[in-house]
Amino acid sequence: MLEVEDLSAGYGQTTVLRGISFTVAPGEVACVMGRNGAGKTTLLRALMGVLPKTGAVRLSGTDISQRPGHRINAAGMVWVPQEASVFPGLTVRDHLVIALQRRREEEDGIAEAGALFPALGERLGQEAQTLSGGERKMLALAQALIVKPKVVLMDEPTEGVAPVVVEQLIPAIGAATESAVVLVEQNIDTALALAGNAYILEQGSIVVSGTVRDLYDRGIIEQRLAL
Amino acid sequence: MILGFLPVDSFNVIVLAAVFVLVATGLHFTFGMLNVVNLVHGELILIGAYTTLQVQKTTGNVLLGMALAPLLAGVVGLAMERGVLRFLYERPLDSLLATFGLALIIRQVVQFIFSPNPQTVRSPIGGSFLLGGFNIPWWRLVIVLVTAGLLVGVIQFLKRSRFGLQARATVANPVLAETMGINSGAVRAGLFALGSAIAGLAGAMLAPISTLNPQFGLLFLVNSFLVVIIGGKGSLRGLVVAGVVLGGTLAALQFVMSTVLAQILILAIAIVGVRVRPLLGIVREAQTKTTPAASTSASAR
Repeated sequence: MLEVEDLSAGYGQTTVLRGISFTVAPGEVACVMGRNGAGKTTLLRALMGVLPKTGAVRLSGTDISQRPGHRINAAGMVWVPQEASVFPGLTVRDHLVIALQRRREEEDGIAEAGALFPALGERLGQEAQTLSGGERKMLALAQALIVKPKVVLMDEPTEGVAPVVVEQLIPAIGAATESAVVLVEQNIDTALALAGNAYILEQGSIVVSGTVRDLYDRGIIEQRLAL
Repeated sequence: MILGFLPVDSFNVIVLAAVFVLVATGLHFTFGMLNVVNLVHGELILIGAYTTLQVQKTTGNVLLGMALAPLLAGVVGLAMERGVLRFLYERPLDSLLATFGLALIIRQVVQFIFSPNPQTVRSPIGGSFLLGGFNIPWWRLVIVLVTAGLLVGVIQFLKRSRFGLQARATVANPVLAETMGINSGAVRAGLFALGSAIAGLAGAMLAPISTLNPQFGLLFLVNSFLVVIIGGKGSLRGLVVAGVVLGGTLAALQFVMSTVLAQILILAIAIVGVRVRPLLGIVREAQTKTTPAASTSASAR
């Protein structure tokens, strides 16, 4: 269970997020929506310990808000960044090994990544920076999912990806049934396919919340996001 | 006439190339990987040399001193990183000033304890052997072999070990590494300590073939930076190429001109090397393109 209470964060002297509160249960996918600059990515970065913040972030009842990123990861929260960044010079296998460190048997996790995304299984020895954009998204997602995390933070995992790759990504996300997922997503079809609750951000605050289906049917998502 | 001392002179070329590589390998970690303009590198070499000297004076055992030298230099490096430099990774000018100040402090402390007078460390393996009718000093051969072994060890360590994998990830993108569970602060501290220990080892190895004084480390500082910069920051392969080219060239030039003139020519070669290195394609920067996340400051831990 992820509980976020009265979270505020920003860059330097600039406060971007104000008073964010929500909870996500295991197996639930909560979708964070909003226009560009609303604070969606900032929210995930703050939760992951990349940005300083105030407020409480509880993971299974334990406050992890002031922990550094590596200890937040160790507590069971993982991040799939929007850029699907990779480490130059490191192979696909290296990336998976780093993700798996001390979590579970390496070969089991790597085999699971290959089963999740066969394209990765065929490229284990390849330098990750030579992967296509879609394959990088697969790698970022595989790194997150094979460690069986308590919470997954996903920042637009299907953005800029070919439809054929999206067809592989969505079932993989949907299969994370034991994790609480915070999904930043602008694509309404993806949100409808995956998410239960939605939180719409405007100027760093949650202005509307409810189920994705209800907000969509009532035209609120279209109105707020100017789709 | 030149051909007359070719065997022994050729060996000296190899020795000086090895010295260049040896003194620059520690800087590969602290400057090449961690991006700290580490002006205290020479004093870490100095600590290694004087540790060997002190143990020799106290116990008479030079090899024991050489074993302790990297340990002490590593501990001093770790203390500097944890105490000062970890707060300055995103402030290169401040870290430059800090390492300059630390270098001054260490040099003065060494001068206070050991005096500014020249001192010598005896070679643990004396004598020489004949090669092609010429005497080759055993200790110089040891320096070449230790340098080669050190390089193989460092390359394998960075490539095969878990710490090496974490280090390469941290250097490439500290923010991403941190969020993937790597304690980037501990990794940086480990890299700085390792680079410092290797600098200490270099000082210990070179002490028997030099005269020690508190300025000893400065002799190697500029050449270490030249080797790392020309080789391409973060590239061990480039470091070896640059060390062999610069050290070998300096040794060869010293046979036909004064040492001062040879060093001036080396600097000129270095300037040209910096200009043409990208065109040669012999090395690859370890820190290639990084993502926006990589440019975000990782807080000191």
